[in-house]
Amino acid sequence: MTAVADDPRTTAVEQGRTAAGSPTLLGKRSIAKMGVAAAALAIGLFLLPAITSTFWVKNLTSAAILAIVAGATGMLYGRVGLVALGQMALYGLSTWITLRLSFATDLPFPALVLIAAVITTIFGVILGLPALRLSGIYLSLITLMSAAGFLVILSEAKFPNGGPGFKGLVQEVTNRSEMRRPDIAIGDFAYYRYVVIAMVLTYLLALIHVVGKPGRAWASIKQSEAAALAAGINTTTYKLWAWALASFMTGIAGGLLAGHVKSPSVFPFIVEQNIILIAVVVMGGVVSLWGGIISGLLAAVLPELFQKIGVSDRWSLILFGVGLTVNLLITSHQLDKAGIRE
Amino acid sequence: MIDTNQLFPFLMSGLGFGAVYAMSGTGLLVLYRTTGVLNFAFGAIGAFGASITWSAIENNWAPDWVAYLMCIAFCGAVTLGYGLYLAPRYANRDDLNKMLGTLGLALILLGFMFNLWKTEDARVFRLPTGTRRVQIEWFCNSEGKECVFDARISYTQILAVVFALVVAAGVTVYLKRTKMGTAMRAIANDREISSLLGVPVRRIEAIAWLGSGVLCGIVGLLLVDLFGSLDVVLMTWFVIPALAPVLVGRLRHLWVAFFAAFAIGVVEAELNASTWAWPSLYRKTTAYVVAIVALLWFARKRNLVISGRSTR
Repeated sequence: MTAVADDPRTTAVEQGRTAAGSPTLLGKRSIAKMGVAAAALAIGLFLLPAITSTFWVKNLTSAAILAIVAGATGMLYGRVGLVALGQMALYGLSTWITLRLSFATDLPFPALVLIAAVITTIFGVILGLPALRLSGIYLSLITLMSAAGFLVILSEAKFPNGGPGFKGLVQEVTNRSEMRRPDIAIGDFAYYRYVVIAMVLTYLLALIHVVGKPGRAWASIKQSEAAALAAGINTTTYKLWAWALASFMTGIAGGLLAGHVKSPSVFPFIVEQNIILIAVVVMGGVVSLWGGIISGLLAAVLPELFQKIGVSDRWSLILFGVGLTVNLLITSHQLDKAGIRE
Repeated sequence: MIDTNQLFPFLMSGLGFGAVYAMSGTGLLVLYRTTGVLNFAFGAIGAFGASITWSAIENNWAPDWVAYLMCIAFCGAVTLGYGLYLAPRYANRDDLNKMLGTLGLALILLGFMFNLWKTEDARVFRLPTGTRRVQIEWFCNSEGKECVFDARISYTQILAVVFALVVAAGVTVYLKRTKMGTAMRAIANDREISSLLGVPVRRIEAIAWLGSGVLCGIVGLLLVDLFGSLDVVLMTWFVIPALAPVLVGRLRHLWVAFFAAFAIGVVEAELNASTWAWPSLYRKTTAYVVAIVALLWFARKRNLVISGRSTR
């Protein structure tokens, strides 16, 4: 990816030229990176399911889904300098929409996920349009407040379970329907592969943006919004673009989660999860999209790993807290660039 | 639409929660103005302190009043410790990174609380003021059976309101009339220039951290009594709605935040009096909606686009 864009000595204009120039994209380094990515994908798709149990495959599915949300959050943080603390609300919203559509229609699974992602994007943009007038700490706070407010609504509304009406709720246990999965991925192993491919596709979508014109505009905005404005970049449009893309990615993740857990609870979307998400995103790294995958693994697999070795999964919270603190202290130069400068 | 008989009791209840919002807001705001840190670990520290108090009372480690002091001392010590050893490392960073640093502390404390205490079990302790109640009966009819204002409130609710008022007034006087307060205001305006002028920045910041920590302990104790049980998750993230009045005060105006806190507390409680179901069900969104509306209102002229000290 655009390694040059991370060098503070490089100006926004220079970054644009380098990122746009094909030698960087098709150079030896890029080819090596693509090779590593292909190898990682092959291991993820074929080797891991072959050597692990259903339990771990389910956890890896959760990790791949969370990696999409983490990738979106990391992209906003690392590429545009926007710290969103409410991504889990959009994630929950998309899960709710997917479930509701699944029970109300006979649409195929990919269509459900895509429609949910588009509706989530629209919601994200509606929220983002006024919120993006804010930045730094205020943007983080408004997103966190939105997420906390959404959680209250979600806790009362609950997730649809096949019932009638707008909420789609039915009280009787026997009448409950189950969220369907795609025909080609009914089993847990097949669904895992399905989710990994979906994750790769969303990451490719993000990558296309990062190495293209929007990515160069985002890099400029991150370095200095005032300078970007002076250079003629429509900062509002590009920030909203990034916001919409992150919402879309999160929407895809929400749809995939609905197919994964089938009857979700509110727990994955509680306020605490937003904080954990930002902690693992910072720990995984916000500069590279690979950080999103590490973040997903940390958030979904680490607590289960703790339990497997007889340690309380609650220790993962401490680890995330320590990881966030240490990363903030050590990688100051990277994170300061990610935040809006004073 | 509204059960008028319930308005007054809910008003009293709302004032109690409003007072806790006000105290939390005062602690958060003064610390932010002095150090630039929006302390998201405020609730977690208070919950940890209250858990220590619960253990002390439950296991008879000490008399109750010592247990309460243990909570306040713990909260003061942890907050001061963070302020002395970790916060200075973020001193030259933007406010966002400073805030994220406190989120790390909140996660660590929450993790330890989950591991040290069986947080799933109901844990209850009452302040001496929580068990005593006073009956308010104003404007009663001649038989004295029906009153316009009829409510039964605990002394904790009264204590919370009085204490919130005393804290806000005390902080105002301290900031305006004392040398240390003037120094705090100077640091809030510009840390580096204040330092160059000889203001003992680290010492002043330490005082702000300690004061905020003590308030955090008091809020922790009051919350357990007002909530009726010790729920560490609820208390840890109580800091989020508590930030709403601070945001209404633009992270700057203490008395605006103070009155906004009471307004939020009262509205949140009064929604319970509705005969419709939904206002009561969604009443907890009040603080968030107020905060969002306030932020968007202040941002309409893009005066919050630059984070950090320029808006402080």
